[in-house]
This record gives sequence, C-alpha cells and structure tokens, in this order.
Amino acid sequence: MPVLRSATAGSGEAPQQHSQPSRKGKKAWRKNVDVTEVEEGLRELNNEIIRGGVIREKASEDLFTIDTAGDAKIPQRFPKHVKKGLKADEIINKRSAVPAVSMRKRPGDKSTDGLVAAKRQKTDWVSHKDLARLKKVADGHHENTIAVRDAAFDLWDAPAEPAAVATKKGPTTTTDFLPEKVEPKVPKTMKQQPLSLLANGKQIPAVPKPTGGYSYNPSFPEYEARLAEESAKAIEAEKKRLEAEAAEAAKLEAAARSAAEAEAAEQRANMSEWEEDSEWEGFQSGVEDERPSAKQPKRKTQAQRNRIKRRKEEEQLARHKAEMKARRAQEQRIKQIAAEVAEKEKQKALMLAQQAAEQDADDDGEIKEEKLRRRQLGKYKLPEKDLELVLPDELQESLRLLKPEGNLLKDRYRSMLLRGKVEIRRHIPFKKQAKKKVTEKWTHKDFVL
Amino acid sequence: MARIKKKGQAGAAKNFITRNQAIKKLQLSLPDFRKLCIWKGIYPREPRSKKKVSKSSTASTTFYYTKDIQYLLHEPLVQKFRDHKVLEKKISRALGRGDVSDAARLESNASRPDKTGKPTYTLDHVVRERYPTFVDALRDLDDCLSMLFLFANLPSTTQVPAKMIARCERLCLEFQHYLIVSKSLTKSFLSIKGIYYQANIQGEEVLWLVPYKFNQRIVGDVDFRIMGTFIEFYMTLLGFVNFRLYTSIGLKYPPKFDAVKDENAAELGAFTLEGKTLIGGEEQKKLEDVAHKPDPKVQAAVNKVLKSMSNGEANGTATEDATPADSEEAEQDADGAIDKFEPAAPGGDILPQPSYTGNSPNTLFSNFTVYLSRETPRQPLEFILKSFGCKRVGWDAVLGAGAFTTDELDPSITHQIVDRPPIQASMNEDGDGEDNQTAQKLAANRRVPGRIYVQPQWVWDSINDGELKEPHLYAPGASLPPHLSPFVRKVQGAYDPTMTLEEQEPEHEAIENGDDDEEADADETVEGMDVAESDEDEDDEDEVDEDEDEEEEEEEEEDEDEALQRQIELEAEMSGKTVQSKAANPKTKAKEEARKALAKKAREEAEDLERAKGMLSKKKRKLFEQMQYTNNKKSAEDAKLRSKRRKLEKEQAKSKA
Repeated sequence: MPVLRSATAGSGEAPQQHSQPSRKGKKAWRKNVDVTEVEEGLRELNNEIIRGGVIREKASEDLFTIDTAGDAKIPQRFPKHVKKGLKADEIINKRSAVPAVSMRKRPGDKSTDGLVAAKRQKTDWVSHKDLARLKKVADGHHENTIAVRDAAFDLWDAPAEPAAVATKKGPTTTTDFLPEKVEPKVPKTMKQQPLSLLANGKQIPAVPKPTGGYSYNPSFPEYEARLAEESAKAIEAEKKRLEAEAAEAAKLEAAARSAAEAEAAEQRANMSEWEEDSEWEGFQSGVEDERPSAKQPKRKTQAQRNRIKRRKEEEQLARHKAEMKARRAQEQRIKQIAAEVAEKEKQKALMLAQQAAEQDADDDGEIKEEKLRRRQLGKYKLPEKDLELVLPDELQESLRLLKPEGNLLKDRYRSMLLRGKVEIRRHIPFKKQAKKKVTEKWTHKDFVL
Repeated sequence: MARIKKKGQAGAAKNFITRNQAIKKLQLSLPDFRKLCIWKGIYPREPRSKKKVSKSSTASTTFYYTKDIQYLLHEPLVQKFRDHKVLEKKISRALGRGDVSDAARLESNASRPDKTGKPTYTLDHVVRERYPTFVDALRDLDDCLSMLFLFANLPSTTQVPAKMIARCERLCLEFQHYLIVSKSLTKSFLSIKGIYYQANIQGEEVLWLVPYKFNQRIVGDVDFRIMGTFIEFYMTLLGFVNFRLYTSIGLKYPPKFDAVKDENAAELGAFTLEGKTLIGGEEQKKLEDVAHKPDPKVQAAVNKVLKSMSNGEANGTATEDATPADSEEAEQDADGAIDKFEPAAPGGDILPQPSYTGNSPNTLFSNFTVYLSRETPRQPLEFILKSFGCKRVGWDAVLGAGAFTTDELDPSITHQIVDRPPIQASMNEDGDGEDNQTAQKLAANRRVPGRIYVQPQWVWDSINDGELKEPHLYAPGASLPPHLSPFVRKVQGAYDPTMTLEEQEPEHEAIENGDDDEEADADETVEGMDVAESDEDEDDEDEVDEDEDEEEEEEEEEDEDEALQRQIELEAEMSGKTVQSKAANPKTKAKEEARKALAKKAREEAEDLERAKGMLSKKKRKLFEQMQYTNNKKSAEDAKLRSKRRKLEKEQAKSKA
C-alpha cells in the first residue's frame, strides 16, 4: 500500500542545523542542533544488535578465527556457476537476532515495592457492580439510612428535657432576651391505637396464645375439634367455588344461547327476505310490525271510560276481599303468630348472646378464626391465612418427624396488617409496561416501478 | 342568619389527610414516608365518610390524621430523608451525564459519614418517644421478639442482607442469655408453627414465637421493605431493652462476643457474660473440674446386669432409674404443703395455683447433666435446659460447638435426650458392656447404663408443669402423652386431661360414679361376666349424657317413690307383715340419700334462679337463657369426655387386677 502523505505537512524529520557558526539566536536552540551523527550512530548500533550483538562488545574469539587449513568443502558448496537468489527473497529471509516482541496483551505489573504505587490505567474506575448499585441508589433503593449501633447507655434513665428546667430559672441568665423555643406538642391522635381489622373492633395481641389443637402432639379431642372445624371451612369454600363455577358456566351458556338465537333469527330474517316468503307469493314481510301506525290514537269514548272504571272498581273490591280474608285467617291463628314472633325474638337474643359469649372467649387472646370488618385499609383484601393443620395421616408423635405447618413470615406480615399497623399492600412484581400498538408502515406506497 | 359554611373547611375534611397530600406536605418519597410512619407509630385511619375527606375525583384509599402529619414535620428524621433525596438527585444527575466516578464519589461520601464528618442518625429518640417508660417497651416486646427471632432464622437474600440477619441473631442470643441468668422463662410450647416461649420479665408476661430451624420459605406476597423497616426499629429497641436488662442484674452490656466460636455454631456459647466479676468463664471451669469418674465397682455390676439383659428390656433401665427421682418427688410433696387458691364463689374461674417450690421451679434441672443426641433440636433444648437451671448441657459434635461435652460416654451425664425409636433387630448379639467401654461412638440403639433416656417432650412437659415428669412415660419408643398447651385458661367444670377424675368431676357425677362402681362390684361378685358389664357401662355413659334432662324427672320419681313406699307400708299394716325395706344395703342407702340431698339442693338453686330470672328484663332473660344453653352444651361435652376416661380407667384397673 502506498503511503499517503499530505502535501502541506513537513518532511517529518527534526529540524537540523548543520553548521553552528554562532551560539546566539534561534539557531543555537537545542532543537536546532545537528544530531545526524548521533542518529547515524544509533541506527548503526541497532543494526548491529539486529545482526547479533554489538561488535565492540564482542570478544575477539567470537569475531575471528585463525584459519590454518583451508576448507576442502568450500568448492563443493560454492560451485563456480552458482545461481544467486532474488534480492527480494534475500531481504525477506533476513532474520533478526533479537527475538520478536510477542503481540499478546500483557497485564501491567500489579505488585508494588511499597514505595511506588502500582501503575493503574484508570484510577477513577467504577466496577459494573458498583454502577448497578449506584443506579439503584439513584432510584431510591438505599439500604441504610439509619445506623444501628450497640446500645451504650440506658435510654430510659437518660435525663429527659433539661431545657424545660433551665428556662424556669429566672431573669439572671444572659440569653433571656431570646424567645423561648416552643417544643411541638404531641397530638392526642398519636396515642390512639391502630385500627384493628376485626369486625368487633378489638385489639388483637401480637402473638395470640396457641390452643392445644396447635400442639405437635395434640390430645385427641382438641385435634379432632380443630380438624372438624377446618374441614368444614374447606368444604364450605369448595362449595362456594363450585357454585361460582356453575354460575359462570350458566352465564356463559346463556350468552352462547342468546347469541345463537340472535344469529338464527338474523339468518331467518335474511332467508325470509330472499327465499321463503317472497312478495311473489303474496306476502310482504315485516311491513306491519316495523312501522308504527301513522294515525293518532283516538279519544276514549264514554263507554270505554265507564268500562275502565268498572274494571278498576272490581279489582279494588277483589283486593279488599282478599285482604280481609287473610286478616281473618290471621285472627284465627293469632296465638300461633304470637308464638312465632316470640320464637323469632328468642332466636335474635340467642344470636346476640352467642356473640357476647364469643367476645368473652375472645378476651384471653387465643388463636381463633377472626371475623373481619367489611371495609379494610387500602385497596386490597387481607391475604388469606395459611392452613395450619397437620393432616391426620401426617400426624407424628415424634418431634424429629414433625413437618412444620404454615409460614411464619407470612403469619407475621398478616398480623401486622390485621393489627392495622400498615395498610394492606400487594407485591407488584413488575411495572406496568406501556402498551404497544402495531401499525403497518406505508413505505410500500413509495415504491415506484 | 348564620354565615354559610364553606365545604372542606371543617370536620372530616380538616381532620384527615390523604396519603398523597401527606407526602406532598412532607416533601418525601412514598417509601420514605412509609418508613417514617412505621418508625414513628403513625397508623392509617379510617374516616367515617371517605367522600367528605378527599376532594379529588379518584377514590383515595389511605388516610391519616392531619395532626399526626403536622407533628411529623418536626421530626429530625425528615431532614435526613430529604438530605438523602438530594443525594439521590445528585447521583442520578451525575449518572445521566455519564460521570460515573462522580456519582461514586458522591455516594461514598454520603455512605461513610465518619470520614466526611456528618453525623449518622439513629432511632434512639424514636424509641424513647414511643415507649416513655421501660415497662411500655416490655409490653410491646411480643411482636419485636417474634420478628427478630424469625429474621434471625431466615436465609440471606438480596432483600434480607446477611448483616441484618447476623445482627438479629446476636440480639436474640443476648436476650436469651438474660433469660438464662435471670431465670425468667416460664413456659414453652411445641406447636406445629414453631416454638412458643413465655417469660416473665419484671412482672410483664412476654410471649413470642420462634420458628423451627431451617424451615423458612420466602414467599412472594410479603413486603420485605416494610418488614425490614420494622426490623430496623425493633433491633434498636431490643438493643436498649437488652442493655437495661443486663445492667439491672449487674452485667456488662454488650457481652463479650467470640467470633471464632460463633463461626463454629456455638450460638449461646459464643458470648461471655461479664459483670463486676467474670461470671460465665469461671463457672464453666469449675464445672469441668467436677466431672467425676464412675465408681468401678458399680460399673462392673451394671455391666453384669446389662449382659444378662435382652434387648426387650432396654427400656427397663430407664424406668429403674426413674424410681429415685419419683421418690424424691414424693419427699418434696411430703415436707411442705403450699397454700392453694380456692375460688371465692363455687362457680368461679380456676385460679392459677402457685406451683410447688421446694426449690424454685427454675432450678428444675439444676442437678442434671444432659446430653442431646444429634437428632434432637439443640437450640431450643439448650436454651430451655439452661434457663431452668441445668448448667451442663452436652451434645453431639455435629450440633455445633460450645457443648459441655461432646463425648456421649461421659460418665457424668445423667439424662440423655433422644428422638429415635429403638431399633429392635440390631440389638441382639453385640449388646455387651465391654464394647460400650471401648467404643468412642455408640452404635445405634446402644444404651449407656446409669442415665435416663427421654424424648424431647419430657423437657417441655416438665417445665410447663413445674415438676419433673415421670421419665418412663417419655422413654424412647414409648407412646407419648399428648403435649398440651400451657396457655389455655382453665374453666370451672371443663374437662382437663392433666387432673385426675376425682379432682374435676362435679358432685352429682361423683355420686353417680360411685354408684356405678358399686354396681360394677356387684356384677363382678355375682355374675362375673364381662359382657354384661360393658353393656351397662355404655348405659352409664348415656345416662351421663342425659343428665340434665333426667334431673327433673328424678324428682318426680322421688315423689312417686315416696307415695309407693307409703302404699306398701299401708298394705303391710293391713296384712300384718313386716315392712321389707327396699334398700337393704346401708351403703346404697347412704348414696341414695346423698343423691336426694343433692337433688334437693339443685332444685332449690333452680328455683332461686327462676325467681331471679323473673326480675330480669325480657332481653336480659333471653340472653341469660342462651348462656345457660351453651354452658349446658359444653358441660355435657365435658361430662362425656369424663365418662369416657372413667371407662378407660376402669378397664385399665381391671386388666391390672
């Protein structure tokens, strides 16, 4: 490849000053001093090194031999009509005595002698890991805003508010012209208990006391009671699910049916227009149904009015009679009705009492099925409790074989929500993506033949 | 005319503030606001009408009291959050420009405040504010302990950094050390969820739940940011509580922590408690010196016995060993009776009885050296045993460092806790004593003489009852008695499996029961037929079930009986014969009388009740009736359970006799 050189650029050689008549002026500048000799010498040296070492440094033995007898093989090796190779080959075949520098990239020397720091390419290098962390921090996911240290003093023995005492001293202090700093008052609302999610509005203990049914080796009656309760709940849930499924299926079926009917009707309508009853056969389809009669409704005649009046009266009478009859029947069985009402009231009272009894039982803070309030905190529903029950076939007597049930992490989190410490939230695994709309490009219209 | 009120100037619109408004007011981001609310104890509230509060068209869901938020403005932490927000902005701007090194420098300056001279923030003042007194803090310790113990057992993930877990673990262990030293653990319960512990700290009952080891699944629907915020607060709280507790018993806080031991899973053993004088270390040394060698003569004798024994009798040693313990218990019972709290009224609740304390119940295991086999859960056992006075707890080396001994053959061991059933097959040939002496590890199912083998539940049942349970009930392979919850409140008349029948059955049942015995005896003497008797037992059971209904009938019967008696007497007089007494047996007669007296009493009580009911309003009467109804239902259930037990006991007695 020919080497390109710009016309404007200089020769690329250093400026030279071949003769130095004076030591004044620009010509005496260092850069202008003639160094050709030195350069020549250096090139010579380099050539010598390439050829196998500096000749001056070599010992005489390496350079010279005393040839006492001529070599007999020389005439054989160099016959008279020897053919010389090409100059180009000669140049190419030249080999330097200095081994080639390998092209492999080598890392710099990392070790340091303790005095000079190891050479680093970039001192302000930030690793990918760090960068990822920085990006996270920039997004607001910082880990520690608060330093957690070992407690080194008694928090509840520390002096409370020294400022309040100092202000009462009197006018002797030098800074009494400064306005007193008003401490913000803690509002009463801060001391209110959080909103419990229970229907009865009672506070729930953070750790409810376990009943015997939760034992790893429960007594039979307790376990049986819990099993029965849980299975009843499961059955109820399953029933509800099946019902919902059936309702859904029915709805779908109805929708499908109505769609099919509509389709059929349409088809019929289509058919009727063209095939079934044509006007040739004397039918004109849809003429009477579609258009309302253009005539105004006529005035009611007196006879009509009388007829309507009579009918209304009759209806009223009939209704009255039926009412009277029902009333008489009620009068006849008034005792029975009284008894019914009493029964109803009793039922109501029973319900109330049961609730009261349940509330009584609530007070000891044992684990139980909680009745939740209708309106909860936040948009979402409280997550369901895990089923904490060992099935009868898995019930083991040995602690070693116990398979723990339930998830404590979830349990704790749910307890927080239930006690109203935080609003109910839901984990959102990823951000809502922007909706993409696919359209066709119209570039084919640009295509011209 | 009064001035027209403007909308949104008073009432709910003023008192409540939506979350977005609050965030805008405080100039914080949502996560920071959430953190602040959790730390400061500001909870979401519910206004009576949401519509009246928010002016926006979209429905807001979370509301706070305006005053709370107003108060938050004074919080120094808010400034900290704002500073951080500024930093975030700076970093994101630098990153946007591509000045990564600039961003890194900004971040490092902020995250190492000790180098830049900026003060770090702690939650100390928040803890002080939320718990003005130490007792307040103790009252709220349930949740704190449960959370910290849970996090101490979690695997570390990106959301739960290992540092946090280590810190939680350390705080928990320190707290456990306090409980051990102060002996304030009272109860514990093995549930299917985890292990419940109850402690009495300075008069406050604290209950917490600890998960079983290696069981925690991380589930998706738990918000770890919120949990982490709670944990940060609770870590600070428990730190201060620990400090206070340690100093209250004259210990230095924090205790010395040995990182090397901790790496070897020493857990509790990684800490050395320091007081004015060193406590832990010295004691430990003393104990190690004590370890006594077994008497060679006794050992030889035991070996002889062991040789002669076959595999089936392996459990026998345990029961034999148990006898001295039993006799000790008996002695304890004999030498000091303690007062019992009787309920003031006959129907009152059962009062918690003071447990017997020859020495306090928290020194229950003080004379024992316990060895834990490798299949047992070491952490809870170690903690419970130590907090109930046991000073020498050894375990298999697999279970971690810090054991009193890891040598299973250590002659000082008195109790070994095992949780494996005995294997029957491998025992027959090589079960000789010589081998026991030489082998370092025992083969499966080998037993060392002179110690009691029990299952882990023995420990729990013993501490819950405040007395050592009979070890033979808990021997390896034995069918364990049910593990009952110590937290259930006992109710008068309810069936309690831990008490004997005589203690808990009501009067009328006792009388009837006695009657049954009588009849059964008669059966045995006269007929001696099992079949007939069992039939009768079932009848008895039915009788018990229908107790309530029968009582009224009985009274009528009684009147009839009296009439009949008179009739007979009259007839006898007429015919001149002597009267044949119906009840020939004086015993049955006495019973009859007792029954009559009881019935009379019951009748009188019922009458009183009826009269009292008349005074009540209709509504209250209905309520009262319902209560009676449910109570009767419950007591019927209890009676059924009791009768079942009675039957069982009878059968057992018979099989013994």
